[in-house]
Amino acid sequence: MASLILSPAEQDFIIRGVEKGFRGDGRGSLDRREVTLRTGMISQANGSARCRIGSLGVGTDILVGVKAEVNTWAAGEPEECGTIVCNVECSPSAAQEFEGRGADEINVELTQLLDRIVGGEQSGLDLRKLCIIPRQAYWVLHIDALVLDVKGGVADALVWATRAALLATKLPRVVVESVTDDSGVARAEFDVVDDAEDQMGLEGARDLPLAATFNQIGRRYVVDASEQEEAVTQAKLTVAVSPKMEICAIQKGGMLKGFAPSLLSEITQTALRIAKEEFARFDALFAEASKHNGELDEEPSTGSTFLEPF
Amino acid sequence: MSRQELISPEGLRVDGRRANELRRISCRASVLNSADGSAYYEQGNTKVLVAVYGPREPRNRSLAQQDHATINVEFNIAPFSTSERRKRSKGDKRLLEISSFVKQTFEGAIQTAIYPRSQIDIYIHLLQHDGGTLETCINAATLALVDAGISMMDYVCACTAGFIDETPILDLNFVEESSIEVPNLTVAIMPRNGNIALLQMESKLHSSKLEDVMELAVEGCKHIHRKLDQAVLVAAKDLADKLSN
Repeated sequence: MASLILSPAEQDFIIRGVEKGFRGDGRGSLDRREVTLRTGMISQANGSARCRIGSLGVGTDILVGVKAEVNTWAAGEPEECGTIVCNVECSPSAAQEFEGRGADEINVELTQLLDRIVGGEQSGLDLRKLCIIPRQAYWVLHIDALVLDVKGGVADALVWATRAALLATKLPRVVVESVTDDSGVARAEFDVVDDAEDQMGLEGARDLPLAATFNQIGRRYVVDASEQEEAVTQAKLTVAVSPKMEICAIQKGGMLKGFAPSLLSEITQTALRIAKEEFARFDALFAEASKHNGELDEEPSTGSTFLEPF
Repeated sequence: MSRQELISPEGLRVDGRRANELRRISCRASVLNSADGSAYYEQGNTKVLVAVYGPREPRNRSLAQQDHATINVEFNIAPFSTSERRKRSKGDKRLLEISSFVKQTFEGAIQTAIYPRSQIDIYIHLLQHDGGTLETCINAATLALVDAGISMMDYVCACTAGFIDETPILDLNFVEESSIEVPNLTVAIMPRNGNIALLQMESKLHSSKLEDVMELAVEGCKHIHRKLDQAVLVAAKDLADKLSN
């Protein structure tokens, strides 16, 4: 990640602080920074959201667009399912080293992480509902994330933004009818209804997980590490938990050390414990973001929320 | 080839504008926190986000110029920006072309001589695409550079114009731009002295009509200049309010 250089004294300060339960910005070890959420800023996407995690307006900033496309079924693909394709791109505005091909490695890492969390059945989304006609046509949901700024906790912000974007996603209605051709053979055909009013949300989007990343610093761990804390992190574990309190995905990242197995079980327990609070927080933010959009819809706006302070 | 009716008998274009009308422009400076300067700019349904960093030490020492600053532009089209999803590779010629035009334009506008041995980075994201990519990129970059406090000779304001059915039309949208028969002229001017910073035309146009089309495009640039100026004033006032509190 963005290379932040800390002096040994500062590193020591952070590590000892965390071990005593104090953090540089006054948070408790399981507290998340301020989260800002907006939805619906990209009118050409089926769903979009922007999420920033960080206090005082400075933080990790991610924009996610969801685009649905109809794909023709090909042999070898699942017969009665739609698919989800994730793609994460880090902008050079987040760090200079992301210029050119510099972000390739981190892009792949984050794409894989997101795919592990929302790419399949574990996400709670009903993939069978994305099938239009079995063995013929299905929906592909392209989740494209643009990382605009990195100030610690990218994985969490990515999952929060993706959940919001998928919850805001509306698919056009599809009419399937049986057509008999000249030779008398009946086959199914479909028609995508082109009406902005006649759209529906994704089945199972409410069951999408949220993720929390636990960073081991010294002998303790903290949730939602800041940029400075990430620089002294020994190991980190991202845990995605669904609203049904099931663990959907776990990924260990981080560089220096391994986890003690005892710490692993402690962390997963903690993740389940704080999940309820996280979902309540997300729901409140999402409701506010949606309300925001309702007001904008009254005038024929292009649906921008970039023009307002964020 | 059957041609889509681009101007109705009533003289209205596909999106309901008259021939000499610009699309609606809204913009805002300082939208990203960590960038030295940033801007969000939308013209109709085309939306652009720009981050400017610098002047800072060049990432690569060999890029440093002893007598002036180097300008680096990276342009990126978000995969969800077009009506059909498309992911472009970093080496896509279209991307490189736009970034090189933006770079050339601003090399003339920024006072590079006062920032020797340094680099100014302009990162452009096209979030939504509905025609006029180059013009919106230049306008947004101007606003972001002003927001970053980088010394420039003047604003650079860009606008497109075309020619349909014997009428010059201003600010082409995607449908008009993709029609093969419509000439597409992009011009960027420095409004104070009216110098042309960039001029590009696609397709063909009779030489006797060029002047009319140019004139219309320059009118558009002047209008955009007023819009950008307002946005700079709003940003400055915002900053002043924050300082006084």
